[in-house]
Amino acid sequence: LKAIQKLAIANRGEVAVRIIHACEELGIATVLLHSEADVGTRAWRMADEKICIGPAETAQSYLQIERNIQGALSSGAQAVHPGFGFLSENADFAQACVDAGLIFVGPRPETIRALGDKISAKKLIEKAKVATVPGYMGDDQKLETLIQQAEAIGFPVIVKAAAGGGGRGMKVIRSRAEASELIASAKREALSAFGSEVVFLEKYLDRAKHIEFQVFGDFTGRCVHLFERECSIQRRHQKIIEESLSPSLTPVLRADMAKAAVSLAQAANYNGAGTVEFLVQDGAFYFLEMNTRLQVEHPVTELVLGVDLVKAQILTAAKEFVIWKQADLVPRGHAIECRVYAEDPYNRGLPSTGELLKLIWPEGPGRRYEVGFEEGDEVTAYYDPMIAKVIVWDEDRSRAIRKMLRVLDETVIFGVRTNLPYLKAILSHPEFVDGTMTTQFIQKNFPEGLVPRELTAAQKAFAEKTLASGEFQPGSSAVASGAPPVSPWNNPWRFV
Amino acid sequence: MKPVVAFANGTLWVHMDGETFTFESPKRQARGKAAAAANKGEITAPMPGKIIKIMVKKDETIAAQQVLIVMEAMKMEYTLKAQLAGRVAEILCEAGQQVTLGQRLARLEET
Repeated sequence: LKAIQKLAIANRGEVAVRIIHACEELGIATVLLHSEADVGTRAWRMADEKICIGPAETAQSYLQIERNIQGALSSGAQAVHPGFGFLSENADFAQACVDAGLIFVGPRPETIRALGDKISAKKLIEKAKVATVPGYMGDDQKLETLIQQAEAIGFPVIVKAAAGGGGRGMKVIRSRAEASELIASAKREALSAFGSEVVFLEKYLDRAKHIEFQVFGDFTGRCVHLFERECSIQRRHQKIIEESLSPSLTPVLRADMAKAAVSLAQAANYNGAGTVEFLVQDGAFYFLEMNTRLQVEHPVTELVLGVDLVKAQILTAAKEFVIWKQADLVPRGHAIECRVYAEDPYNRGLPSTGELLKLIWPEGPGRRYEVGFEEGDEVTAYYDPMIAKVIVWDEDRSRAIRKMLRVLDETVIFGVRTNLPYLKAILSHPEFVDGTMTTQFIQKNFPEGLVPRELTAAQKAFAEKTLASGEFQPGSSAVASGAPPVSPWNNPWRFV
Repeated sequence: MKPVVAFANGTLWVHMDGETFTFESPKRQARGKAAAAANKGEITAPMPGKIIKIMVKKDETIAAQQVLIVMEAMKMEYTLKAQLAGRVAEILCEAGQQVTLGQRLARLEET
């Protein structure tokens, strides 16, 4: 590319890997701006150059605007891709890039400022006459004021970080009694994740679907939408399973929502990839927020539309991408993404850390894996516990679900506990299969995660045989000597 | 699909029929169980992370299931609750502190 020969990545993990793939295909050299803890990770091994910008703690590395700018400049990169999370929706960072003569891969700083801050975004969309959820977004952030406002809106009320996204700094308040503690907790999470403790309040819709529209603007100012994704399967406001298209939009509702999303993007003179999030309940849709960045779940859109959003982002930043024609964007088939987390589904989703002893991502048509780790890498407590995203495409939704179940059956991850069993339980649930799930799905159906059960007879027999073979020696002398293992079993086995 | 097995650090990992399970030697397991029973009053970090808030004071009387400590790991907040009713004998951490897996955070005494 004329404008970009070298691109700096201000991110880590699987999204850094995704950006490196796009750059390699475009013939752009990559520089990874990483923390000390990320030396030796997959993205670190793949990047052409790497510059350490600070210690493991995100506040001193990935969230440090100046260190990222200095790193990018010292490498001679012309552009910076922020990925998602970290500084991706930080207008000050985008502005700092521009001021330093770097191309920020994303919308203009003033656009991020207007839309990234959910309070001003809400005001913007109210002008565009799209309904929003009733709420409070005032400057008075005193605890007493917030509690009063929450009461005025009527419980349940959700408290959210004004500068945030991705579920951090969000809490549902069900009664006045827990308001004070939950608002304080949301403020702390907001401060630690986004550097600002400003929050707002909203009426909590209790049987809504989370449906978001992908939009894209090219450098000439033209905007299209790339249809929707449904992300109703969320735990503690963290998305777990996403799909495109949504199984529950009528053509009329879809057209109305797409129109609202595009008009918002146009009103903001949007360029690059963005996502307009809505809640849909009882046939009505309410604007939630606009994310001025790539989304974690962008692959499902890429698969149903046959596009590459990351390459389009980079080309747009280099002023080379002229937008897809809306009429050419025709969705085909169905795509589902599952986020595989290192956590214990049998113990309230407690994070699990450790070395990844074995990783097998089963091959086959219509399967895609976005992975930041390889065998021997370690899942640490410093960052997000997501190990990988597993994405499948098939001709229709029920086939896609069946394919995903098959793929997760054959996926092997040793070394940490994972949510694979949890994902499969969700995918098999009648409410998910018939597509009627709402954002309450997890709380309603899996409030405590999964209940451990016994190994099947075949599994037990195989395991006993393996132990008795003496090939593996789990530290017990009885086993090491080749004697029959333990009897009675006393249940030393457990699912992970 | 054929079963997949691996062994490391005293644990055998098996993937079979679409499920993954582990085996820990009975000796290792018994040690863990005994320790857990003996230490019901010991509040330890279930994961590495940061102490966000300590909700109780030394010598405070507490009920079972009362929230003692709020900690953050991997960007999420987790609450540590009392497994017994009694009093807070010791607090061994402070807000803002980074803690390691298994680190002792507080000690309770049953009443």
